[in-house]
This record gives sequence, structure tokens and C-alpha cells, in this order.
Amino acid sequence: MPISTLRRLILIGLFFVIGGILSFISPSFLTQGNIMTLLQEASQTGIVAIGFTLVLITAGIDMSIGAVIAVTAMVCVNFLSYTHIPALVFIPLSLLTGVAAGLFNGFFITHFKLPEFIVTLASRGILAGVALLIAVKDADGFISNVYIQDPVYLGFGGTVGPVYIVTIVFIGLAFLTQFFMKRTRTGTNIYATGANATAARLSGINTDRSIYFVYMFSGFCASLAAIFLSARMMTAMPEFGIGSEMDVIAAVVIGGTPFTGGVGDIWGTVIGTLFLALIKNGILKLGISPYIQPIVIGGIIVVVVVVDVWYKAFAENLSKKAIDRRKRSVKATVAP
Amino acid sequence: MSDQAAESDLLLVCRTITKSYNGPVVLSDVDFSMKRGEVHALVGENGAGKSTLIKIITGVTNRNSGEMLFEGTAIGIEHSKVASQSLGIAVIYQELSLIHGMTVAQNLFLTKEPRFRAAPFIDIGRMNSLAQALIDRYGFELKATDIIDGLSIAQRQTVEILKALNSRASLIIMDEPTSSLTSSESAQLFGIIRRLKAEGIGVLYISHRMEEVYDLSDRVTVLRDGHNVAVLEKEQINPAEIIRLMIGRRLEERDALHTMCRSNAEVVLDVRNLCSENRFNGISFQLHAGEILGIGGLVGSGRTEIVRALYGIDRFDSGSIAYLGKPWSPDVASSIRGGFGFIPEERRLQGIMGAISMTGNIGITNLDVTRRHGFVSAKKELALARRAIELLNIKPDNPDIPVGNLSGGNQQKVVVGKWLIRDLKLLIVDEPTVGIDIGAKEELYQTFARLSAAGVSILLVSSDLPELISISTRILVLRQGCIIQEFADGIVTEEDVLRASSGLVEGAVR
Repeated sequence: MPISTLRRLILIGLFFVIGGILSFISPSFLTQGNIMTLLQEASQTGIVAIGFTLVLITAGIDMSIGAVIAVTAMVCVNFLSYTHIPALVFIPLSLLTGVAAGLFNGFFITHFKLPEFIVTLASRGILAGVALLIAVKDADGFISNVYIQDPVYLGFGGTVGPVYIVTIVFIGLAFLTQFFMKRTRTGTNIYATGANATAARLSGINTDRSIYFVYMFSGFCASLAAIFLSARMMTAMPEFGIGSEMDVIAAVVIGGTPFTGGVGDIWGTVIGTLFLALIKNGILKLGISPYIQPIVIGGIIVVVVVVDVWYKAFAENLSKKAIDRRKRSVKATVAP
Repeated sequence: MSDQAAESDLLLVCRTITKSYNGPVVLSDVDFSMKRGEVHALVGENGAGKSTLIKIITGVTNRNSGEMLFEGTAIGIEHSKVASQSLGIAVIYQELSLIHGMTVAQNLFLTKEPRFRAAPFIDIGRMNSLAQALIDRYGFELKATDIIDGLSIAQRQTVEILKALNSRASLIIMDEPTSSLTSSESAQLFGIIRRLKAEGIGVLYISHRMEEVYDLSDRVTVLRDGHNVAVLEKEQINPAEIIRLMIGRRLEERDALHTMCRSNAEVVLDVRNLCSENRFNGISFQLHAGEILGIGGLVGSGRTEIVRALYGIDRFDSGSIAYLGKPWSPDVASSIRGGFGFIPEERRLQGIMGAISMTGNIGITNLDVTRRHGFVSAKKELALARRAIELLNIKPDNPDIPVGNLSGGNQQKVVVGKWLIRDLKLLIVDEPTVGIDIGAKEELYQTFARLSAAGVSILLVSSDLPELISISTRILVLRQGCIIQEFADGIVTEEDVLRASSGLVEGAVR
């Protein structure tokens, strides 16, 4: 069984084991309300994580996702406060915010060949500033807390039956993206670009196009998450999303997509997202101080990465020894 | 008229190709041709121009002058990689162009994945079956769904060949394809090559291994110093003759320099039965004070691996080493303390720190001299640097210049200088004069001679045969990880060394 499948099974197993333990210890854990809330939290991070996964597959990184969430939220709030444009019209427009950010990122990464970390860090700063600038302010110039009352908009934070809409969108997006990545040429090209850009180019792939695509998609996902976040919170602040990178990265790392690129799929990210949400929910339910949360998550990231790295080295060593042994078993002679 | 008719049958025609890289002429008026369905070997020493010719054919670099025709159509000077691929020229390097995480089928069809008629989605089933059909047609034991990561080097090479076939290549170029294969895998590769030949595909094959050239080729082109010195037809191919053509008859041989002699001085290093799995086997020799022991052999024969093990960079599995009579288990720090010096193979990557000044570079291996109470004395470091500059005539003589800005020859002098100013007993030198001008080369040779006269032992690994022969006082030739011959007495010629490296000992091929 390939290691990735084994890893995934272990993760799923751990998920249910920990879930089981939690439901045993805390009676309010295994209620429909809590489970749906857990899923909603997971979906919030998960939507962004799906876009982030694609960036990671190209061996890149997007540090601007948090700021994109902030700016998109501000854009929506501006539409709500100053225009009468219906939500169903301005929401798709605001999704373009993320796409534009991705375009910006992609340009500096491909055209100037700047490191992805630096470019997206810079755009993070710029976008965070833009969010503050365009925030709706009161008469004295202070940022005001806009209460969202548009029912269509708020509807995005609602449910269909017991399930939150954001969860449905998350799962749907996961299916679509997975299918896209595995079953289209563009998806294959993205994998190739991340695995070995030189080989990809030699085979005729336009690696620049792949890079533009993933950053624009990542921005799009962040913007989408912003809609759901502000709909649920019924408000929007320019700090929204800032700092959410940690959860996204944790989810993706736990899910098994490596930073080295070329490998990874959406289902891994989905499982990682659910696992992370479980841990956070569990900490809450167990009554542990929420300040412990980042420590626990950081600790999990370290453990996961160490195990991954160690296992990779172990497996490579084994296979190298096997190949070499076969190679030299024929050449075991000593010259006279 | 008849010439043209004959030429249009030719797959590839190169006429009077000349190429120089800002000065040194690498290829000079080289003619070369390939017929359809022929296996054509390209041989020559390192630096003869083989790689450059291949780069010109595949569009990686461009010729300065000369004509090139492929299947009758002229190829312009501004040839490119993409152009050569679309013409049908494919190059097999080792696994450089495969995506490891993907399957064989995915690699074969990259950018041309078969899609459903109704929708633009990849038809994985059809892709796999088409790939499997291609694999089966050639009788390979591969599955279209195998992931490249799990395949051996030989299998990956097969996938590369399949990729070329899938792109309808009519000329496949292979550069030293057997250097990482076992003999049975090599035999399989030869079978594949014969099959390609039967399908009318031309195979251009670069190799140093004479037995392969002899078995496989229909024709052999020999390059020497950038010239095409011979094109041999099948009946004329014999390994000894090829080697002779590769070396050429050089009458300016200075016999004195090419006489080997055994040393009676004290034994500095006693190596017994040193083995390292897959690298070298049963290495035993003694190194005497003041001796310059040359280590020859083809690329991949284990030379660098052995000296790295002796210096302490890599571990070995079994065997023993005695240094100055005492058992020795090498590690770099104690090697340096014990009086070893090491000049690595790749100057830019392993020898110098380009951004740091000469003073810094030289100081780094001499911290025991310049450091006191944890602080490094800038004055002492500078003094050492100046001494090195003086001893080796490093130019420019400003010790503050970042070493990366110096010429290759002077950079190498800095590397040597690091060790020279110490109390050396043993200096290991791996390919010391690659990419260095004649003047610097001579100065380095004189330095080695001075060291040897002063009683320092030198282990010299070199692919430059004239260099190896003229500097060494004794030569060991390695082949496939074992010592195959020792030249300790009498006059040695380049031919002798090359024959030994190729396994042509006493006329038979081994």
C-alpha cells in the first residue's frame, strides 16, 4: 500500500479515535449542533485551504490569503453601505478581489522570478493596508462596525436543513477541484510544474500559466471564505482573516501535502482540515484554556512534519539499498 | 548530383561545424552524419567536443558556423530545443525529464493526454491502454500505471526512450546510458537499441566503454581536440584502434616525465581491502612519503569515492587504513589535524566560498593558527593570506577580493593555498586543473613537484591523461570500483592508461 494511503488511513483512524474519546469525556460533543458547528468551522478554513493546496503543489506559498479575506470583506461592506446593488450581483464581483490579488502575486513571481514567500508577504502587507483604507468609517474617521442586515447576504451564513451552506460549498468545491486536478490537462500541468519545472518546460508546458492559475485560484478561495465568514458573523472588520494563515497551513500540513511540490491532493487537505477542527473543538469542549490552542496546533505541526520527513528518508534509504544491491550483485568481482 | 541523392537518405548531416565559447575553439570544422536505422557511436576523450556537438544538434547551444540538415531540411543557426524536439530529435539523459510522482502513462502523454470526445477531461483509461500498448509493442516489463518513483534507473531510462518513441522521434541520442546500469540491464538496453535500429530510428550513442562501442555500432566517429579525426565503418571497428585514434600520436613525449618508479621512502598511508558497497571494492595500496600517486580510470570507476573516504567525508563499510604506522579512522577534523589536505573536484561548489574574500577562504582551514581564546586574529589571517599569495603567485594579489571574482586558475590557487601554508603530510587532489589556463596549470604542477620534493605525499585523481602521466611517480588505474592495474616501473603512455581504464588488459576486453 503506498505510503500516502497508509498515512491517510492513520489520520482518519486517529480522527475517529479522538472523536470517540471526546464524545466519551464530554457529553455535549456528539450532538448535532456541535457537529454542525465543527463542520462549519472546518469549512471556513477548508475553503481557503483548497486554494492553498494548489499553490503548494506548485512548490509555492501564499502568505496573502488572510489579507485577501480582509479586503474582500471590506469590499462587500462598502457595497452594502454605499450602494443598492443587490447581494447576488456584488458578491461575484467581490470574488474578483481575490483573483486580482492572485494576478498580482503571479505576475511578480513569474515575470521577475521573485521568491513566492516574499511576493505574497508583500501583497499581504499592501492588502491589509488597503483593507484599513477602504473600511467604512464614521463621521470622526474611526472604523465603524458595520452590521450586515441584507437578508440575501446573511443567507450565506445559514443552513440547508441541519447542514450549513458553507459546509456544502466546501465539500462541493473539494470534489470539483479534485476532479479538475486529476482529470484535466491544466491540472496535470500544475502537478508537473511543481514536481519538476524544468522537465515540465521541456515537455512544452507553460509553467508561468500554471503559476498564475494557482495564485488566482488561491485568491478566489480566500475571497469566497470571506463572504461566508462575514455572513456568519453578521459583521465585517478589517482584521478579519489576518492570522488565519496558521490554521490553513496546519490543515494542509496535517493533510499531507508537502511544501516541496508536485504531490498532494484535495482529499488530504479535507481530512487535515477536519482533523484540525476536531482538535480545536475538542480543546473547547474539554474546558481547556483556548490560549493553549495555538500551542497544541503548533506542536501537532512539528510532530507531523518530523514523522513525514523521517519516514521519507527511511523509505528512500530502503529503496536505494535495494536498487544498489541488485545492481552490484552481478559485479562482485575483484580484479587480479 | 549523386552526392545530393545520397545525402537525402541521410538522417542528419553536419558540415564544417565550428563552435567556440568566447575564445577557446571547442569544435573545429567538424563533419558528422547519421543514417537512418544506424547505431552510430561518438567517442573521444573528455574535452574532445562530444557534448558540445550534441548540444548543437539538440539546440541547447548554437554553432558559430557550418551547416546542419535533418531529414533533408536545413536547420538554421538559431536552432532551439523546442525546434529539435518537433523535428524528431530526442535526447536521453538520465531521468532529467521525467516527473517522478506521476505514472509512466502520464509521463508519456504529458501535454497530450487523450481526452473524451464529449468533454475536455482526461480519459485515464484510454491513456493507460495506449501507453500499455506502446510498452507491450516493445516487450518491456513495465506497467503503464507504474509510478516513476518506484522504478529503477534502467526502467526510468526505458520510459525516457518510450517518451521519445511516443513523440515519433527519428533520431535518439544517448549520452553514456550504461553508466548506472548493471550488465544485465545494459544487455537489455542493447536489445532495445537493436529494435530501434530495426524500426529505422537512428541512435547516436556516446560512450567511453569500448566493448559497447564494438558490439553495437555500425559506425564510429572519433573526435579529438575538437576535430573529427576518423569515421570508422563496422569492419574497421576495433577498440585498440579507436583508443589510438582518440589519443593520437604525440611525438613531444618527454620520457623522463613518463617514467614511473617505485618509492622506497617510508609508508605514509597503508590501505588494506577498503570496501564500500556500490562504490569500490577491495582497495589496497601503500602511499610513500614524497610520492605522487596518480589514480586513473573512467568516470564512475570510484576514484573520487575512494579519496573522499580516505579524507573522511564519506564512510566506508570495511577494510583498514593505517596513517604513519598507526590505525586510522578518518574524519575530516582529525584528517586536517593530522596533516591532510583536500582539493575537491568541484571548485565552485566544494572548494571556495565565492562571496568571501581570499583572506576568509584561506583562514577557514587554518583556524587553529589564527584563533586564540575564541577570537580570530585578523592580523594573523591576513599574514597567512599574504603568504599564500606569494607562494602561489595569486593574481590579483589583493587578499580582500571575493574569491568568486578571481579567474578559475587563481581560485584553484586559493584552494591549494589554504593547505600549502600548513604543515602538510598528505595532499589529496581531485581533478585540479579543470577549466584552468595553461599558465596557472604549470604553476600548480610546479607546486606539486615542490611539495613532493619536500616529502609531502600526493594522491592525484585526474581524467586529464597527459597531466596524470607527467606528474605522477606511480599510477593506479581503477575500473568499476577495483584496482585493475598498477604502473610502477618504466614508461607509461596515455594509451596504456586508457586501455587499462577500458578493461583492455593484454588485448582482451574485461
